[in-house]
Amino acid sequence: MFHIKNSRTRFGVMSQVARRLPLFLLLFLLLLAVGCETDNPQNTFAPSGDVADKLRDLYLIVMWPLIGIMVVVEGLLVLSLIIFRQKRGQAVPRQTHGNTRLEVAWTIAPALFLFVLAIPTITTLRDLATVPDGDVMEIEVTGRQFSWSFRYPNEEITTTNQLTIPINQTVNVTTTGVDVIHSFWVPKLAGKADAVPGRSNAMWFNATEPGTYSGQCAEFCGVGHWEMTFTVVAMTQSDFDNWLRDQQAGNPNSNTSDLTWHPEE
Amino acid sequence: MASAIPEQRPVSIGEALRGLRHEAATYKGILSWIATVDHKRIGVMYGITAFIFFLIGGLEAMVIRIQLAQPNQSVVDPQQYNQIFTMHGTTMIFLVVMPMSAAFFNLMVPLMIGARDVAFPRLNAFSYWVFLLGALFLNFGWITGDIPDSGWFGYAPLSVQSLGHGMDFWMLGLQILGISSMAGGFNFIVTILNMRAPGMSLFRMPVFIWMTLVTSFLIILAMPVITIALFELGFDRFFAANFFNPENGGDPLLWQHLFWLFGHPEVYILILPAMGIVSEILPTFARKPLFGYPFVVFSGILIGFIGWGVWAHHMFTTGLGAPANAAFGVSTMIIAVPTGVKIFNWLGTLWGGSIHLATPLLFAVGMVAMFIIGGLSGVTHAVVPSDFQQQDTYYVVAHFHYVLFGGAIFGLFSGIYYWFSKFTGRMLSEGIGKVHFWLMLAGFNLTFFPHHMLGLLGMPRRIYSYPEGMGWDVYNMISTVGAFVIAASMLVFMFNFIRSIKRGRRASADPWDGRTLEWTIPSPPPPYNFATIPVVHARDEAWHRKYVEDDQGRIVRVPAGAEHDVESHEAAGAEGHHIHMPLPSIFPLIAAIGLPMIAFGLTYYQDTHGEWALPLIPAGVVVLLIGIFGWGLEPEAE
Ligand SMILES: [Cu+2]
Ligand SMILES: [Cu+2]
Repeated sequence: MFHIKNSRTRFGVMSQVARRLPLFLLLFLLLLAVGCETDNPQNTFAPSGDVADKLRDLYLIVMWPLIGIMVVVEGLLVLSLIIFRQKRGQAVPRQTHGNTRLEVAWTIAPALFLFVLAIPTITTLRDLATVPDGDVMEIEVTGRQFSWSFRYPNEEITTTNQLTIPINQTVNVTTTGVDVIHSFWVPKLAGKADAVPGRSNAMWFNATEPGTYSGQCAEFCGVGHWEMTFTVVAMTQSDFDNWLRDQQAGNPNSNTSDLTWHPEE
Repeated sequence: MASAIPEQRPVSIGEALRGLRHEAATYKGILSWIATVDHKRIGVMYGITAFIFFLIGGLEAMVIRIQLAQPNQSVVDPQQYNQIFTMHGTTMIFLVVMPMSAAFFNLMVPLMIGARDVAFPRLNAFSYWVFLLGALFLNFGWITGDIPDSGWFGYAPLSVQSLGHGMDFWMLGLQILGISSMAGGFNFIVTILNMRAPGMSLFRMPVFIWMTLVTSFLIILAMPVITIALFELGFDRFFAANFFNPENGGDPLLWQHLFWLFGHPEVYILILPAMGIVSEILPTFARKPLFGYPFVVFSGILIGFIGWGVWAHHMFTTGLGAPANAAFGVSTMIIAVPTGVKIFNWLGTLWGGSIHLATPLLFAVGMVAMFIIGGLSGVTHAVVPSDFQQQDTYYVVAHFHYVLFGGAIFGLFSGIYYWFSKFTGRMLSEGIGKVHFWLMLAGFNLTFFPHHMLGLLGMPRRIYSYPEGMGWDVYNMISTVGAFVIAASMLVFMFNFIRSIKRGRRASADPWDGRTLEWTIPSPPPPYNFATIPVVHARDEAWHRKYVEDDQGRIVRVPAGAEHDVESHEAAGAEGHHIHMPLPSIFPLIAAIGLPMIAFGLTYYQDTHGEWALPLIPAGVVVLLIGIFGWGLEPEAE
């Protein structure tokens, strides 16, 4: 026999559901807002390059509708518990088995939504795969346990753990790994390009503002993975030219020449 | 003739085995568990073992959270940290969620399809023992200090180059566990396809049975893929082969393709059982049938198919090229559709119901609520360029914990609260259960929601520590506090569980007004489950035996006495029909023991003083063969 038991506790819990779930949602949004506002060295929401900018915009295009969907669906879930909670002595509800039209609708609706999402996904992918026309600076990035080396094939210099670039200059990095897989990542400038032994992987980006950008290996590569950080220094073209001249002259005042590492040797 | 047998005639192997098997039937206490082939006992052993590993994996998680609570800490050293997160992931996936799901398959499948046991009871026992021994082997490094350290995903060539025997334990341990999963997968496919009660057509099967079937197919198809990958890793590690070594023509990405070709179906192996459980619980507590049964079933099947075509979404940053990335991004979006359908149908099930807010329902709703968040953040990964930023950050950690903890673990807990009484004859405390639920929900969200922010703020996964000034401090601290809340909720659960086994309220056969066959038999069920095999006339058979429509179209309960349910079954059982049940057997355990022996031999024999280990390999093969032959030759039943 079916009895309605513990009705007191049940009503207590009911109001808890009603009170707490919206609170959670609010908390989440608040936390998210904090994430947007603070400026931190690896904040993907505070880009300083055209590529990272694109990636942030695309994420936001997707995130807001998804948050909307989340609020609606979670809301309906909580609402259903409130509206349809069992009442004392309630008869067995109507035994509905489904509603084909409704179900077809909620199959097609997400499919359409995702189809819409696929469009910016694919166009952005195409943009990222095509290096912009014009002057491109080539850099060969090599990840090894546990440091990064950056070779400038045209300028004939190599630096370690610091990549220096001019601002507003398209940089095309070609990544590879020597020992295990690493991943080149400067969150404020671009996404990741894995550095896989035996392969080379390419990615372009630029920096739109001068500054020092924090980068970090993003593929687990062993005991020193956590320390495998590096920086990208973006400077004006004239500063860069000076820096380059110092480097090529082997100037000891240069901040990176003493770290230079030649993988060929 | 029989009396003419001379006394000195040697006993044949067959007779000896027959004698052994009959003797096993008389075992009491621990021996009766070791030799058991009863699906319910095997299910209990699976569940308890998985829960113990849940605690171990949880402790590992606590160490991770304590280490990361603040910047620049060194609670453990970097190498230990790597070992602990490797073991945390491996444990939670292979030693907790999979075997916990297996526990539910074992406990529930025969009861829900009206069978007396699974199709191959001894294979079932073998499956459990192989799991247990494989799990112990995988964790053996805690004794020797050789702990796996290359991540649960074991990316080559790091996993090839890893020193010591840690990754050998990992690799061979997973091979052993794969055998267990395969045996279980075949067993449940055959059981579900062949042993359903008369009248239970495929489309009268409970959704949990459907999801078990789909999961079992995924298991038997996905496990061979990782087996191949692990063999290649083994050849690279033991015999300096070059599958993953680019210097000699190998390719590190080969590992990733194989691993994720297994790994994505694996995700569904982990979540579909929980989805099945929730699909049973929501109708029971809303007191109306699952909304759109065919849609839920077909979306589950569809997920099982499309799940094979999305693996490269784990590899978007490896340089597959824009066309491949676009294709896998789109396929990943497509798989979100059947997943969304399930969520809407669950909502439709609750809508218009008469919802009894008991603990199983709370956990089931918690599962749905958390899975929605995990599913939606998964959509952002399908948007490939945005994944270029999120890949290998804490954002991904947030995503899959929402799916696997918020989804699978909440779902499995809802199953524990729902079916506890069926096997113990007692109820878990509702009050303590609700404390457990709210603590776990709050702790879970506190722990994992901030991981989204950490990922967006650029915190990579698997880093031992981090400096100040990255903006990660607060979120990490919140997350660690949340982890302690989860830990507290587990203490509450264990208290409830142990207390209820001893002093819980006595449960009737059908305390929740259930809809499926397991509620038509006593709690706990007799060894033979069903005194008479039920004949099924409808989906939700148990419900239809209790309720009919009256002439005004209202649903009313069948008057007591008119229903052909529990009492009549119990009476039939009490009459002492002779029901043929499979006899206990110790051979599954013996066969299982051979496997870790071989693995130990392989692990150690190449060491400088490892000659002692070489004989273990043939010895293990011999033990395995003894087990298999004994199993093959002993009488099947009385
Ligand atoms: Cu790394
Ligand atoms: Cu996947």
